[in-house]
Amino acid sequence: MTTLLLRLSAPLQSWGTSSRFTRRATDLVPSKSGIVGLLAAAQGRRRTDPLEELLSLRLAVRTEQEGRLERDFQTAARQGERTPVSVSTRHYLADAVFLAAVEGDRNLLEGLQDALRRPHFPLFLGRRSCPPVGQLDHGLHDGSAVEVLGAQPWHAAPWFRKACKRPRAFLDLVADCDPGEPRAELVRDEPRSFDPHHRQWEWRSVLRHKPIEVDNPDFRGEATSSWRDGRRDLDFLGAL
Amino acid sequence: MPRTIVDIHVLQTVPPSNLNRDDTGSPKTARFGGVVRARVSSQAWKRSTRTAFQSLLNTAELGVRSKRLVELLGDEIRRQDPSLTETAPQFAKDVLTAVGIKTTPPRNKKDAPEESGYLVFFSNRQVTSLAELAVEAARTGEAVNKTEARKRADTEHSVDVALFGRMVAEVTDLNVDAACQVAHAISVHAVENEYDYFTAVDDHKQEDVEEDAGAGMIGTVEFNSSTLYRYATVDVDRLQDNLGDDKAARRAVEAFARAFVLSMPTGKQNTFANRTLPDAVLVVLRDTRPINLVGAFEEAVTGQSRIAEAIQRLASHATDVHTAYVERPLAAWTFGPGERLAPLSALAERGDVDATIAALGEAVAARLA
Repeated sequence: MTTLLLRLSAPLQSWGTSSRFTRRATDLVPSKSGIVGLLAAAQGRRRTDPLEELLSLRLAVRTEQEGRLERDFQTAARQGERTPVSVSTRHYLADAVFLAAVEGDRNLLEGLQDALRRPHFPLFLGRRSCPPVGQLDHGLHDGSAVEVLGAQPWHAAPWFRKACKRPRAFLDLVADCDPGEPRAELVRDEPRSFDPHHRQWEWRSVLRHKPIEVDNPDFRGEATSSWRDGRRDLDFLGAL
Repeated sequence: MPRTIVDIHVLQTVPPSNLNRDDTGSPKTARFGGVVRARVSSQAWKRSTRTAFQSLLNTAELGVRSKRLVELLGDEIRRQDPSLTETAPQFAKDVLTAVGIKTTPPRNKKDAPEESGYLVFFSNRQVTSLAELAVEAARTGEAVNKTEARKRADTEHSVDVALFGRMVAEVTDLNVDAACQVAHAISVHAVENEYDYFTAVDDHKQEDVEEDAGAGMIGTVEFNSSTLYRYATVDVDRLQDNLGDDKAARRAVEAFARAFVLSMPTGKQNTFANRTLPDAVLVVLRDTRPINLVGAFEEAVTGQSRIAEAIQRLASHATDVHTAYVERPLAAWTFGPGERLAPLSALAERGDVDATIAALGEAVAARLA
């Protein structure tokens, strides 16, 4: 098994899977639909083209930096008029960084890596106004998506790691799983067609894995025991 | 055909102002690098660029125009529906009549398809959508809808949509992907919104001696001031695809660059008179992928000489990114007032706005040819 690692970072990014009408939401992690769309755009597939082998990819996402939810108020008016015909609220994740691992056939992933270096269409993270910052492609690795993410160092921005003030951090991991899995959650996020006249998604089963523990290379000083970070510190109770 | 991408980076300072506000009247903000930054949404600046663009580009000057419209449309109809091979010219003529273009048989050429009386510019997309109209008319047996045909034949709208994409969802524009991408503009430093408390004096009441000295109306206006980093990219190949004509693509790129750099959203402009021009502009021509340099400002700029530091950071980040990822831009130009621009003029050819846009147009035209 081979996995392609992507680092998704931008001042604003948005991954919607459940938006309705004028309220455009974002999930707290990148969606499979958004990432398949990004890869398809890099390859040069039009929205009306079939997705074929991209549908066989498996995705796992690790949250390096959660970011904050931002709400953007947007109006659209016809040219020359002042009264808007459309008023919508769009949500974004600001200041977030994610590591996405895409697992699949090695040849396909090598082709995708090349496509990301010279994308056919301009790339964006969820919405067109969110171009990615920094290097998207972080190489091909052996192993499954979850294994690769378990071994990666912390890819958050240096200021965030410094502000964390702890020697180790716990990062959330969300991955594709089999539909029969007991703790699976369902998201309408399995893309079938991006054709603007008939967009289609099917149900995707995702599993929240145990958080991955990583070293904080920007930690300076003594570890402090902090009860503010309840969930993390209570982990030691498992040993009792 | 070689790949052509135009990246435009702008550093622009605005004085106390409220260019773009949300539903509560506050200037828009975003957190980046852990601090709150001023933000002007991508849609706000895209709209003002779009408005300026339309006044800069005279569609009458666009490149390939033809009289052989029946032939042009006929071929597309045949491509979409091969069963209409024989009747394609007739349907093409019907659509053109619905649009309001009269066609007559050309002189001295027997059996040649009819031509219009004057030159008309139709982008690829328009030809496709007009042909779709004809195919539908053939299928349903009804006459071609005049309003629909006229809408699809609107060239100004077409060039605009090819570059910016649809703004208000229209079914005919559903399949268009914009050739340009505009990012949200964010400030390079941390920003705090401030309030201006104002009163409005009731003149009549003021003149009346018996009345109290109270104001007629009181309120607050929220504002901030910032140095914004703005970024836009034009995918020239996609634009040429959408328009179907090299010369039109070149003119559109030039007009877009000028409109993006010089325009500004009009929010609260009468209250604050905030129309400024950019402190620094960097235009980069590349052949691999668009590269956004906002990473230069992830760590917020602090210090007194903010603009100079921002320019320095932009230049060094650009150099670092190009070195790390082995990117070699095809060409780069920069312009802006004063000596502060020095770090950028080490990376790019320094000129003025007209020289840069002319050079950009030439370079784009050479690559499209």
